[in-house]
Amino acid sequence: MATHLRTALFGAVFGLALGVGGASAATVKVGVIAPFSGPFAMVGKTFKEAIAVYQAENGKTVGGDTVEFIFKDLDQANPAQSKALAQELIVKEKVGYLAGFFFTPDALAVAPLIDEANIPAVIFNAATSAITEKSPRYVRTSFTLWQNTVPLAEHMARQGIKTVVTAVSDYGPGIDGETAFKTTFEKSGGKVVDTIRMPLKSNDFAPFMQRIKDSGAEAIYAFLPAGPTTLAFAKAFADNGLKEKGIKFFGPGDITQEPDLPALGDAALGITTTFNYSQAHDSAKNKAFLAKHKELFGSSDTVTFTSVGAYDGAHVIYQMIQKTGGKPDGLKAVDAVKGMSWESPRGPLTINPDSRHVTQTIYLRTVEKVDGKLQNTEQAAFADQPDYGYKVGK
Amino acid sequence: MTAAATDRAKTDKTAAPAAAPARRPRDLGWLGVPVTAAAGLAAFWLFPEDLGLLTRILATALYVLSLDLVLGYCGIATLGQAAMFGTGAYAAGIAAVHWIGDPLALLAVGGLAGGLIALLTGALILHARGLTLLMLTIAVTQIVQEVANKARDWTGGSDGLSGIDPAPLLGLFRFDMFGRTSYLFALAVLLAGLLVARRIVRSPFGLACRGVKEDPLRISAIGGSPKAYLVAMYAVAGVFAGVAGALTAVTSGIVGLDSASFSWSAEALVMLVLGGTGRLYGAVLGTVSFMGVHHILAASDPFHWMLFIGLFLMGVVLFLPGGILSGIERLGGLFRAKGGKA
Repeated sequence: MATHLRTALFGAVFGLALGVGGASAATVKVGVIAPFSGPFAMVGKTFKEAIAVYQAENGKTVGGDTVEFIFKDLDQANPAQSKALAQELIVKEKVGYLAGFFFTPDALAVAPLIDEANIPAVIFNAATSAITEKSPRYVRTSFTLWQNTVPLAEHMARQGIKTVVTAVSDYGPGIDGETAFKTTFEKSGGKVVDTIRMPLKSNDFAPFMQRIKDSGAEAIYAFLPAGPTTLAFAKAFADNGLKEKGIKFFGPGDITQEPDLPALGDAALGITTTFNYSQAHDSAKNKAFLAKHKELFGSSDTVTFTSVGAYDGAHVIYQMIQKTGGKPDGLKAVDAVKGMSWESPRGPLTINPDSRHVTQTIYLRTVEKVDGKLQNTEQAAFADQPDYGYKVGK
Repeated sequence: MTAAATDRAKTDKTAAPAAAPARRPRDLGWLGVPVTAAAGLAAFWLFPEDLGLLTRILATALYVLSLDLVLGYCGIATLGQAAMFGTGAYAAGIAAVHWIGDPLALLAVGGLAGGLIALLTGALILHARGLTLLMLTIAVTQIVQEVANKARDWTGGSDGLSGIDPAPLLGLFRFDMFGRTSYLFALAVLLAGLLVARRIVRSPFGLACRGVKEDPLRISAIGGSPKAYLVAMYAVAGVFAGVAGALTAVTSGIVGLDSASFSWSAEALVMLVLGGTGRLYGAVLGTVSFMGVHHILAASDPFHWMLFIGLFLMGVVLFLPGGILSGIERLGGLFRAKGGKA
């Protein structure tokens, strides 16, 4: 009896909250879960700044509803905490949308919640292909390793490269990259002569460099988590004479992201990557985005792929609110943006109606020094790349 | 001569506290379980919107309690409790994904797995002491984490093990979005854990463990095997940690590599020291205060909260070196001393 009463009461309160959220000229809350402290604080900072830029450009209201972003700190991959935070955002803060998510497990953790509460979750980063298969309410505005790797492997095959060694960190994204590369490159007629999986926390790469040298490969495909490990890898690559020997260095663009370039220094010169965004992308939209960022925060040096992920994510959420008239219905909101196309600072984007992941242009870039500053200069563009990893299964 | 004298002094010391603490925690202990239960139920009514966080606090309290059993009662310096927690969480998670749906059975699986890994690794490493042991426990955690990372097909690797969807509790109560079932379930498990832990530390076995902590030589002299006691208690604590891991897996529906990480071990230690070691309820109090303060600070300022939590911890260490519970006990002791003299 008492339980029934309480259940009814909770239902009523929740329903009321949703009802209020749906009334016109109300506040639509968006809960952003991301690292704002600790070693990955930079990610949260880029999310927050990009959202601020978007709101500065487009106003804080959509069709009379005020959009309010609430930030929750999740300093490392911790799915249990991610779920508790999402629960709090939904039940207590009555958010209509969830967003953010840097790490894959944190994004996966909220699947049962968003389904039960019928709330869309817009993923700004978490890049494992399988995430959007777990709930119809996920939409992703970042990239996947497959999406970046397939065009790279095809490009390398076209360049006449025959033999490649893959060297990846031994964890989910690394294995994803290795699989995507091997599948595509061998289909294009090349040969992967050795696949090296390196311990995630390793900083001593000399033995792996020897293995790469011994294999006689013409090029390497490398993926490591951004930061000190990539730095040590790139340095070892140069120091062990592989660069001199003419072995070419390829990889997904995470490894040469803008905030890391100064630390990588000249060891990064000549690394060729494929990615969805370069700060150096030449378009009016990107220039305006960077200018606004500089105006608001004094510098645009840290603008990187997580920035555009959040910027475009904010755009998707604004569109969802507009197209549903601010009414809280997660599935309808997701349906409303399926197939939607728009121009982003990174180029043209379309939300694929099946995978709910952005189809986008992937750029081939090389690290170069321009006016004493390292940047990813775009060399070529591969238009309309979907998430090749969707429903590939692992 | 002097040796004998110190020895006699030691005998007196060990004899006296053996009698005294046995009496003091008895009073506190009887109060402790109902007070925890009442506080838990009060929190359920007072903060119906924060049950997600509160559930995590309860499961973590059980985990910190398991650390108290080894550190507080056996004096085993360990930074490897997350190995047992993680093993329990993954075992329950894998069982839930492939075979079992019943939450209680899942807890049993987690406890069993945690106990087994503790028994195996404990038997291997517990001959060491001090810093060596500390290093070995860290190594065990790293191995467990790496195995979980490598066994991608079973554990999901760094993507986490998702898709844990436990059946309704006792076939009646579904694990809902508001977290009511999860919370009450976690509270019940924690209370049961506290009762069992209390029984264990007050049993002859528990007292023997405390004896090993005080003076392992003496225990061998009277015919006991210090290592056997330590390994047994390590395994028992492993069961507790495993159940806590399974509880987290069941209530959150996902297990990540963080559950077997070094930092998760270290965090448990911080919470235990904060609450007070060797007291059981210190574990609960430490967890509640640490995670509560953490939550409030992180919610009010998600960008700079770490600074304030650092200040909070420094404050406690400076002014209450024995943990929060020691402060309370000191207050109680003041009253008792006055009463005794009068």
